[in-house]
Amino acid sequence: MSSHREAPEISKDPVADSTDVYAFVSPDRPHTVTLIATYVPLQNPAGGPNFYEFGDDVLYEIHIDTHGHGEADITYQFRFTTRLDDRNTFLYNTGPITSLSSPAWNRKQFYSVTRVDHRGTHHLARALRCPPCNIGPLSTPDYATKLARPAVHNLAGGGKVFAGQRAEGFYVDLGSIFDLANLRPFQNFNVFAKAHGLKAAPGVNATKFLNVHSIALQLPISEVTAKGRPVIGVWTTASRQRVRILDQDTGDWACSGPWAQVSRLGNPLFNEVIIPMSKKDYWNHQRPVHDKQFASFVAHPELARLLPVVYPGVFPNLAQLDKSGKARADLEAILLTGIPRGIIKGFTNFTGSVQADLLRLNTSVRPTGKPSIFGLLGGDTAGFPNGRRVFDDIVSIELRAIAGVTYKLIDPKYKVDPTANILTDGLTPADLGIPYLGVFPYLGVPYDGYGHPSK
Amino acid sequence: MPDRNKAAEAARLSRRSMLMGAAGAGAAGVAAATLGGAVLPALAAGASPAVTAGASPAVRGPHANDLQANDRPADDPRADDLSAADLAEPVVVHVRNAARGELEVFRGTAATRLQDQDLAARLVRASTS
Repeated sequence: MSSHREAPEISKDPVADSTDVYAFVSPDRPHTVTLIATYVPLQNPAGGPNFYEFGDDVLYEIHIDTHGHGEADITYQFRFTTRLDDRNTFLYNTGPITSLSSPAWNRKQFYSVTRVDHRGTHHLARALRCPPCNIGPLSTPDYATKLARPAVHNLAGGGKVFAGQRAEGFYVDLGSIFDLANLRPFQNFNVFAKAHGLKAAPGVNATKFLNVHSIALQLPISEVTAKGRPVIGVWTTASRQRVRILDQDTGDWACSGPWAQVSRLGNPLFNEVIIPMSKKDYWNHQRPVHDKQFASFVAHPELARLLPVVYPGVFPNLAQLDKSGKARADLEAILLTGIPRGIIKGFTNFTGSVQADLLRLNTSVRPTGKPSIFGLLGGDTAGFPNGRRVFDDIVSIELRAIAGVTYKLIDPKYKVDPTANILTDGLTPADLGIPYLGVFPYLGVPYDGYGHPSK
Repeated sequence: MPDRNKAAEAARLSRRSMLMGAAGAGAAGVAAATLGGAVLPALAAGASPAVTAGASPAVRGPHANDLQANDRPADDPRADDLSAADLAEPVVVHVRNAARGELEVFRGTAATRLQDQDLAARLVRASTS
């Protein structure tokens, strides 16, 4: 949900709203990478009578740039088809759904997977089954074993794919952050919160007990990298055909025309907190190769200006840096080009001079047995911003980076404000309601509607 | 990587096939659309002979395929090269600028821009009738 409802127009179109992208070397199968794109944010598990699903009229894509030019060299496309088996009932299911082919499940969704690369278009799979939404113990018993696990499909060449509902894995204190940039653990310093007499408090995970739809791929590294180039840039897009007309006689929608991109996501929070509201919809329509036009928002991020104002006296060095007008080359590297060799000992995910918002993953970095949720800032080069794992605390990492922690990498004389090093919204993976999985598709079993919310 | 729309754009509709689609178009404002070849008598009434010669509204609609090629006049714009699928697929015409005759025609995953003041004027007339 690092990009859920992040722009005015896409906030009205949740089915096409990309919310998170993850890219990491699979910890249990390190010869593969896992790529996950999530859509349809903020799902209340008790979503009946019409449970959540992908859009049959949306083209979902996961793109991979293997050559550092900000364009897709490889694209995986996903198209969904919904089938209604019994047109005479109002019910999603007429009994317990005990398998993916259960006749009691009335509204099933299927999908195709296509790979597009320089050799052409390759249809990898058709009519793969999605799992149902997790309704409750009566409707979807044995959800994890009988419904979710069978929905992990093998692809030719050693890959795997899954598309369906998962527990939201991104933890964030949305309620606090968008209440005038308040961070509960530091609200005793927030100028507005102080006026209300608020004391420091633990974070509240706004996404706890919510679900999201995810498209997950696990692919051999050799299939997604170019020879001698282990760094890939990953992003997702959703596209709709340019014309959509309601046939008033039938109540059906007719779609026509070329696909037009309506949503995209590479680095978490890029469009959400870097791009000004007046340009967010426009950004969603653009390709990464054209991101130079947005580079000034990265070089001079609004949030870096706001932090010293909202937390007076807490970020004096950041305020000074901002006042100097110097470009934030650290953020430009992290978000737009990758980190060049020589900045962090033994590490790079630099893709070249083309500025493009891509989630860059150096696939030659092996997963660590003791990962840090703070990724690179925690000394763990297998984590964000080297790709992104499902548990990475990208809110804290990006807050700290914007607050100046990473500026020291390019200007060793810069003194980081002490609070910047510990900035957080106060959440960790312990604040999830359901744990991540240790295996593909890694995001947890979705919350069921009977139990969430229940009290 | 090949642009996903490039192939579709390459298969641009000929003016002839566009006219066929437009001849069955339902109109709304400055945009006209067909949904599965629906008949639009209003457009037919304002259509030029080049579009409608020899064709009643009925044969331009869902039953267009029932008409044998040799039943048509030689200048009939309903091209013989159009398949049943061509005729069944929705076609949407967007009159971008009626004064300049700028049209954009959508079908399948393709879009074609055309300039035809006469056709644009007929569509506008149809939309206001």
